Amino acid sequence: MKKATALLLSGMMALSMVGCGASDTATTEEPTTDTAAEAEDTTSAPEGGVTIQVTTTYAGEDTNAQNYKDAVAAWEAETGNKVEDSSATSDETFKSRIVTDFEAGSEPDVLFYFNGVDSNQFVEQGKVVSVDEIRETYPDYASNMKDDLLGASPADGVNYSVPVNGYWEGMFVNKEVCEAAGVEVPTADTTWEEFMDICATIKDAGYTPIACSLQEVPHYWFEYAIYNHQDAKTHNTLPTSADDEIGQAWAAGLNDIKGLYEDGFLPENTLTATDAETFQLFTEDKAAFLIDGSWKVGGIESAVDDIENFTVTHVPGMGNRKSTDEIGGLSMGYFITRKGYDDADKQAACVSFVEYMTSDEVVSKFAGTSVTALKNGAKPDTSSFTALGNAALEYAGSFTGISPAVQDNLNEAARAPIFGDMASIVKGSVDAADAVAEVLSIANE
Amino acid sequence: MTARIYKNKKAVPFFLIPAFLFMFVYLYYPFVQNIINSFMHIKYIGTSGGELNTPVLKNYITMIQDPKMLIALKNTGIMIIATIIGQVGLALLFALLVSNIKKGSGFFRTVFFFPIVISATALGLLFNLIFLYDKGMINQILQFVGYLDISTNELIDWKAEHAMFTMMTPVIWQYVGFYFVILLTGLAGIPQELYEAAFIDGGTKWQTVKYITLPLLKNSIATCVVLAVTGALKVFDLPWTMFVNGMSDTWLTGTYMYSKVYSDADYASAIAVVIVVLGVVLSVVVNRIFRQDADYDAS
Repeated sequence: MKKATALLLSGMMALSMVGCGASDTATTEEPTTDTAAEAEDTTSAPEGGVTIQVTTTYAGEDTNAQNYKDAVAAWEAETGNKVEDSSATSDETFKSRIVTDFEAGSEPDVLFYFNGVDSNQFVEQGKVVSVDEIRETYPDYASNMKDDLLGASPADGVNYSVPVNGYWEGMFVNKEVCEAAGVEVPTADTTWEEFMDICATIKDAGYTPIACSLQEVPHYWFEYAIYNHQDAKTHNTLPTSADDEIGQAWAAGLNDIKGLYEDGFLPENTLTATDAETFQLFTEDKAAFLIDGSWKVGGIESAVDDIENFTVTHVPGMGNRKSTDEIGGLSMGYFITRKGYDDADKQAACVSFVEYMTSDEVVSKFAGTSVTALKNGAKPDTSSFTALGNAALEYAGSFTGISPAVQDNLNEAARAPIFGDMASIVKGSVDAADAVAEVLSIANE
Repeated sequence: MTARIYKNKKAVPFFLIPAFLFMFVYLYYPFVQNIINSFMHIKYIGTSGGELNTPVLKNYITMIQDPKMLIALKNTGIMIIATIIGQVGLALLFALLVSNIKKGSGFFRTVFFFPIVISATALGLLFNLIFLYDKGMINQILQFVGYLDISTNELIDWKAEHAMFTMMTPVIWQYVGFYFVILLTGLAGIPQELYEAAFIDGGTKWQTVKYITLPLLKNSIATCVVLAVTGALKVFDLPWTMFVNGMSDTWLTGTYMYSKVYSDADYASAIAVVIVVLGVVLSVVVNRIFRQDADYDAS
């Protein structure tokens, strides 16, 4: 009896391993491309009952987090399909997670992600599907968009993603803190030197002038600090060396951030605080200024009781950069992954989902005050805008120059010597020029 | 019947082969491949290394000159000492105390073991709140007792000013219970007759601990120390949750390796090799130390 039991158990053990293998094969087996070809007559209207995995950055304090949830619910109701959503706030951790998912073969079917060098890896490995390939089967895919604004991949110049809303970066202001400290809200005419004086006054009044976590999100200050040593035409260019004009501008910008740290204009725990902690300083009337993106408007609206106390203005400029020269553009879009597209059951649902999320109506709702790639342009409903929303609309209409964020030309590894080691730069243990040289060394590998 | 089934060895491979295959596929093969990867140039993790690095030992040469790796090694050394003293030492103290009480020992066993069952990520978030700068538990208590000036909202940035302490405290706290259980099991194996004989001979509590308990518990302590040392070398989850990207120069070998995985996979492989080598060497050293003690005691 025991012998029989032993044999039975060992047999089951062996079978379970074989079973695991068989199961894996079944789930990872990719349908042949013939499947896609056979679906020649396919329209993007799915039959329903399909579940697709979707990851976006519409989460947390993103302005469109709720709009996204509403749009997903509407698409689900319309098509009978389901979305397994794993959206998260966009930061370096999120980017690492996406890279991990792709490497582990557990990428989503649809991904809303950066269309710059951050997605080069997926493009080079053939893990995302080009817009042209999708149009072979679904000719109307992204036909409401201007192709030259879709955001071609820097890896091969081909369009893979379909953008929704663009972005701008600006300086949000807590008016109550400014008033309590006895300073005026900075305007387009405020110079950098005047801004430094304003910060000093706010600090003397017992408030934190600038809410920023250099440990977690130094990105916005990096962008504007180096922009202040360039102009809208030259900003989106990588240095060829740390010694050239652009390299020196980068080092000078980093040294300006070091100056802000040394002058005590940043939170005392800026080198250890999370972005959520410093944002809380701003919304709880403990800090005056916050540089962030257009997506933060909704986050501020939902975090504060009196939105009238908040506005957005230009980051004070210096040199050739006017205060009204801003950072902005269309840096993200919906990708359909090869995994999702080659799954015959999911293909139509993935295409339908992206078409729905990038339709004129949905994009107009998401766009708010930002630019879009729509041929017909966005038509946002301004009647429901808050005071901050209206200020943002006015702000977005006052740009004299706009440049994409230059950091989007660097991958995560190349950004690390600056964004992952800002503490060493501001504390002086790493020279700004050396950090720039290290960035370029990794970028050129 | 029982004797016959033990004599018949035909069923043994049925049990061993699946387990061996599992170990080979998920442990030995990746281990050997990792050593090979540490000499290769790998563009993206998950892709095969196309060519050897130039020079082949590039990653190991870089490592020697890498200040962050040196910080990681130094911090890991501190962590090893802290875990031996803090985890094994405290666990030994708790085990000795609990083994000497008759009522409530079950309660203390549960209490000391409980942190083990909580995920490290959850513990990290918990301690993040405890050590939080503004409105954190410790800073609020220190303000309440008057150590920090509440009128000026004086606060301590634990993650900057006392980074290593802040990182090591939860790590030590989490695993004390693990070693406590091992040592308590070891204590249960010591014959009561020895204690009774010592009591009759007039031995004090301290003398029985020194001359009976500790010598007979040596193997369990050696096991705990080896586990603590190797555990400290690869500790990752809790420090990473609290100190992302080696914040405040808190790199450990485990966290530094992980930080390089997605940006420089072959360098991360080389760090992993170093971690394994250090683990093996330190385990041998610990075993030698305890064996030397045994020879000394025997003489």
